[in-house]
Amino acid sequence: MKVLLLRFGELYLKGNNRDVFERNLIAKIKEKLCGEKFKFSKTFGRYVISEYEQDRENEIVQKLKQVFGLYSLSRASEIDANVEAIENEVKKLSIGNKSFKVAVKRADKNFTMSSMEFASYLGGVVLENNKDSNVDLYNPDIMINVDIRLNNKAYLYTEVEKCQGGLPLGSAGKGLLLLSGGIDSPVAGYLIAKRGLEIEALHFHSYPYTSERAKEKVISLAEKLTDYVGDIKLHVISFTKIQEAIHVNCQSEFMITIMRRIMMRIAERICEKYELGAIVTGESLGQVASQTMQSMTVTGSVIIEKPIFRPCIAMDKEEIMAVAKSIDTYKTSILPYEDCCTVFLPKNPVIRPTVKKAEREESRLDIETLINQALENEEILEIKRK
Amino acid sequence: MIYLDNAATTKMFESSARVYTNYACTNFFNPSANYAKAVEISKALDEARVSIKEKLKVSNGDIIFTSGATESNNLALRGSLRSGKWEYIFSVGEHPSVYNVAKELEREGYIVHFLSLQSNGEVNYEELSKLLNSKTRYISLMHVSNETGAINDIKRVSLLRDKLAPKALLHVDGVQAFCKIDFSLKELGADLYTISAHKFHGPKGVGALYVKNKDSLKNIVFGGGQEGGLRSGTENVAGIMAMVDAIKHIDVIKNYNHVLKLNKIFKEVIAGKTGISFIETQSPYIISLSFEGVNGETLMRALQDDVIVGMGSACSTKKAGNRILENMGYKSEKIKSSIRVSFSEDLTEDEVKSAGKKILQVYKYVWEKVK
Repeated sequence: MKVLLLRFGELYLKGNNRDVFERNLIAKIKEKLCGEKFKFSKTFGRYVISEYEQDRENEIVQKLKQVFGLYSLSRASEIDANVEAIENEVKKLSIGNKSFKVAVKRADKNFTMSSMEFASYLGGVVLENNKDSNVDLYNPDIMINVDIRLNNKAYLYTEVEKCQGGLPLGSAGKGLLLLSGGIDSPVAGYLIAKRGLEIEALHFHSYPYTSERAKEKVISLAEKLTDYVGDIKLHVISFTKIQEAIHVNCQSEFMITIMRRIMMRIAERICEKYELGAIVTGESLGQVASQTMQSMTVTGSVIIEKPIFRPCIAMDKEEIMAVAKSIDTYKTSILPYEDCCTVFLPKNPVIRPTVKKAEREESRLDIETLINQALENEEILEIKRK
Repeated sequence: MIYLDNAATTKMFESSARVYTNYACTNFFNPSANYAKAVEISKALDEARVSIKEKLKVSNGDIIFTSGATESNNLALRGSLRSGKWEYIFSVGEHPSVYNVAKELEREGYIVHFLSLQSNGEVNYEELSKLLNSKTRYISLMHVSNETGAINDIKRVSLLRDKLAPKALLHVDGVQAFCKIDFSLKELGADLYTISAHKFHGPKGVGALYVKNKDSLKNIVFGGGQEGGLRSGTENVAGIMAMVDAIKHIDVIKNYNHVLKLNKIFKEVIAGKTGISFIETQSPYIISLSFEGVNGETLMRALQDDVIVGMGSACSTKKAGNRILENMGYKSEKIKSSIRVSFSEDLTEDEVKSAGKKILQVYKYVWEKVK
């Protein structure tokens, strides 16, 4: 029977919490395959997906490759763990290949032969069956893996396909991603979700300075992310009044610093209201004036109780772009609609602001009222996984 | 809401919509079939061709129905390509459905020239006369610019062609001219002329290409051989008949005079106001304006509940910059602060007046915020 053999990676590290992590992972796998016909089973250290529709195999594999916490998978044949059945299957797999290697693993230590013995025995079977073939332990045309599990079944496969790795979604709690519409923030969301953090997203628009299309763009980015992070609650906040107030009252080079400090405050308020444990941003050190160490000190200093996660902090733009392409957000991100950070853009934004100067600029604003007004008009969109 | 983006598209006439329904639901037969009902449709299409030619004021030549101006422009150009060292001339002011085809031909190795624009948006005729020679195969110019409203002197171009490049075909993209300004295609002397129904209250997805001499053109798609072999595919009968209905309901001269008045009224409201300037061009249907210190897109969005204005070619707003205004010598600040206002004869003087006032008011509001 054709099955998919799933392996999980780091869960091993989790000692006593392992059960919790596993339950979480299994739930996420089942959720991901919702709508497909399949049977899920566990053998020690492996999961098996069976009884699925064969012509859906590629789609199912594709979906599984989006599940955080899975390390790799193999398309395998499941057979009874007896020598004759295994021999026949190994013969079948070796056809058409010149050099080969057989590797055997046994979870079932009561099996008639040891792993090494059985591997060399099977090698002999192949050589006898196909006189032209030869064993190559280092660079074989085909690697035949025989995995004998405790359920009295053997799994035979030739390829190992890499999956996402990481930790099951939700195992690290839930955070709030600041989603601008650019290239970096969706990548940040993806990367942090890979470490098990479920996410909600926060977008600021500045209508009429930014367009409806800019908002539509953020919605489609959130939709793309749902492939990996499941349904997303998208909080949309109008930033227009705040930007206008900063523009009128503060020095222009502090525009972005003050803007970001207020965005952070709003993010923290939303975290409190919706019980989210962290703020996630797409910042990358030194990428622009507002992402210098000093700027991040000043914007981060308004946050008291939540950690700020910046998964892209040490990544080059090209590395971020490569991830964006791999999760299919890149093409959407580069659509040319302005986001609210690009309007009222000062010619010379301050590169090394200080908290003191920022506070002095802010003293000219009624920040509390501005934030309350913005939060009153919060719009919430439920972005569903397709 | 007052709609001032009629160069992007127009509202379909209700009568055209009724005609559309009739040919979509009742007289839906395939004009290529051989039973009586189908033959009637085929005849109706031929009458439609005559109506279009009458409106174009031309007696010889053929009308090829297409899916709209983009297809007409592609057919005209691609269908006129010949092997050998021929030269092809375009202006930088062309719509993307001409300009991007020309760019593609350049990549494919054809000899392609681009004419610059004068500061009033018209093509540079001196430059053209220098380029024309016995190897010129094709000249493509728009009649009225969709971005600025500038009118190219096609008659002058065709006379230059007759004198300097007798083998050249003259193609004119008439999308913003047909059914809007009064002209005789016979007098203009163009060989190929593009029209699009939705710019004059017809349906979207239908247009036509006038071809003076069918033998000069080759088909670019292959199929059942409809439209004299030049455009295979079952004709969009409902669309074509609705287009012709719209044409019949348009009185070009009366509409022109009304729109000219609207144009004057609009300019009177905004003229002389600080920060506002507009390009003086000839078609009263289109005005390109700029608003100092304010992003045109911001203004457009701030206005949109009351007045809908355009941003130059709606087909190209996806791309940054504006090659046409740039070529006319405008600085990027001015281009960014530009909007396009375009009229239709169904607007009233009061509507245009109040739209002008609203634009002033919103400009002032936004300017106060961003200054």
